[in-house]
Amino acid sequence: MSEESKRITQRPVPLSRIMVNEQTAKVYEDALETKKRGERIAWSTAIYVQEICETLGVPVLYPENHSAALAAKHYGEDLIQYAEGNMRYPMNICSYARINFAFADKLKDPNYEWPSPAMPLPDLLLLANNSCVQLTKWYQNLSDTLGVPAFFIDMLYNFTEEKASAYKVKYIRTQIEEAITALEAFIGRKFDWDKFSEIQKRSALNNKLFKEIIALNVHKPAPLNGFDLFNYMAPMVICRGKESTTDILLQLKKEVEENIKNNTSTYPVDQEHRVFWEGIACWPCMRHNLKTLRNLGINAVTNGYVTAWDINYEPTNLDGMAAAYNFASTNSKSTPTVARLRSDLIKKFGCKGMICHVNKSCKVMDFHVFGGRDLIQKYTGVPIVNFDGDQGDSRSYSEAQFETRIQGLAEIMKQNKEGNHA
Amino acid sequence: MFTVGIDIGSTTCKSVIINDGSIIVGRAIVPFGTGTIGPKRVYQSVLDSCGLSRDDIERTLVTGYGRFTFDDADNQKSEMSCHAKGVNFIIPSARTIIDIGGQDAKALRINPNGMLEDFVMNDKCAAGTGKFLDVMAGILNVKVADLGIISEHSQVEVSISNTCTVFAESEVISKLSMNVAIEDIIAGIHRSVAKKVAALVYRNGIVKDVAMSGGVALNKGVVGAMRKELKTDILVHEDCQLAGALGAALFAWEEAVKANRCSQTQKNNE
Repeated sequence: MSEESKRITQRPVPLSRIMVNEQTAKVYEDALETKKRGERIAWSTAIYVQEICETLGVPVLYPENHSAALAAKHYGEDLIQYAEGNMRYPMNICSYARINFAFADKLKDPNYEWPSPAMPLPDLLLLANNSCVQLTKWYQNLSDTLGVPAFFIDMLYNFTEEKASAYKVKYIRTQIEEAITALEAFIGRKFDWDKFSEIQKRSALNNKLFKEIIALNVHKPAPLNGFDLFNYMAPMVICRGKESTTDILLQLKKEVEENIKNNTSTYPVDQEHRVFWEGIACWPCMRHNLKTLRNLGINAVTNGYVTAWDINYEPTNLDGMAAAYNFASTNSKSTPTVARLRSDLIKKFGCKGMICHVNKSCKVMDFHVFGGRDLIQKYTGVPIVNFDGDQGDSRSYSEAQFETRIQGLAEIMKQNKEGNHA
Repeated sequence: MFTVGIDIGSTTCKSVIINDGSIIVGRAIVPFGTGTIGPKRVYQSVLDSCGLSRDDIERTLVTGYGRFTFDDADNQKSEMSCHAKGVNFIIPSARTIIDIGGQDAKALRINPNGMLEDFVMNDKCAAGTGKFLDVMAGILNVKVADLGIISEHSQVEVSISNTCTVFAESEVISKLSMNVAIEDIIAGIHRSVAKKVAALVYRNGIVKDVAMSGGVALNKGVVGAMRKELKTDILVHEDCQLAGALGAALFAWEEAVKANRCSQTQKNNE
């Protein structure tokens, strides 16, 4: 009944979104064309040192991003069933991995009608374990089953540090240099250090623009539906070192500033509550998440996930690059560090509540959710609600449970706002 | 002024009518949940229970799993807020509420005004819910309402898993085949539910007094097992099953008072 009572204005798709879609399509098309020419393409973990292959001109595709896209389009169910049945993987491992294993296996069949986006098999793998501990096993399995080499950069967990220690920087920098040499030899192209420096500068610019755009959602009302940020992450994941990403982000920034100027927003109804979203999007159920939030006037104005690509370093400084990559992603940091960072964002963005996605695929993240919850509540005093879901497997999600929990949060936030809490 | 609260659960519908936000004048419970004739029937039953008609009702508020699909209500609220409000009315000292419903279990923390402060709910699993008890009663061929009384005769409680209803079902069948006394199996089933729900309560933090609401609170075996698991007393009111509906009726009354006040101010301004 509340849905009908809300006025939803249909707006045309913003140019920035069209540009994202075009860019994504081009990335996959380029990879397919390259493959057809008999040249090599790579599959990479989401926070690998992308600047290396960008410099070498090797097309790179990102299975995590690809699995998320398939899950969002509801292709995930069949692939997960195939991974668990035909390939005997248990449901307890990451659903992105299960989707990817199934997809990779099915690609061996020349008659496979692959769902869009079409991702050809790789000739090499780029693996960095800064965002997830399961990635090493995932890519090792891919390497073994597909018979392709993996170029591995072993990142280190930051147990208490809030900055990477010198020994870690040295360890990672050495590996970056070795990866450059090894990839140079494997691809058969000379590494152009000047181009590398340009790509570092481009990546830094894109990173700066993306951070600026996120920060603009501090405004009230927020100019962006916070869930839009999940979609605008794609250029940062798959094209962080490209000029086309700069174009998209400049266009997006212009649109967001226009929204602020006109007091408008891509969030379609009145923003009664601002909340912080913790965790990866629940891709297969995102439409239901959004509908439920919208019915209650809740805008998840920012989230912890989009900060994972905040890889900030001085271009040409390899030590800084090593440190930045080692400190990227929630999963590389300690729970107190994450809780402090999240609390700062909650305060900065004026969030009055927090929604935590207890992601069945991501056990490390779940530690943060449960371990960090008390700390965040202590620092911010906002009510926090958890819900069960998964980034790629819709079976872990219950629509009724989500609706009840979010409504409970909205009712607490409403009474806190009205001041009759005492 | 009469207001109605309706709690449409997954297996049962409950309803309460209150007068001027202070006296319960009508009560009804029907053993049919959302998607059945339950919601309509409970509404009629509660009116019949106190000789009122729909024209006598100022406002109706609905809660529970079926709250989004009931068209005869003026508003809806989550069951957490309604249980908080309802329990605060019947047990004003309660600060922690355990509500075990047909398909979910909740631990709520409330303030002295009956406002919801925090809550934790079960994950997507039937273990530790009323459904778990329904399934077990079915295997044992006893009425779910009799589980509590039967378990009082238990001499040696057996251990039943709480990780999965289907696995627990197999365990119960296995115990039956070993001729374990039915009362001992039921006591084990209650302990299984209590362990699962106690984890939620501990996660949410225990602030005394602790009360139980919902239909499962009528099962003395589960309440006793919860007391043991939480190592604290648990208060249960005779209207515990109606707590959600009562809270809904109280919210309906508050909304009606507010609406009347607004309309009076508007008239005065004219």
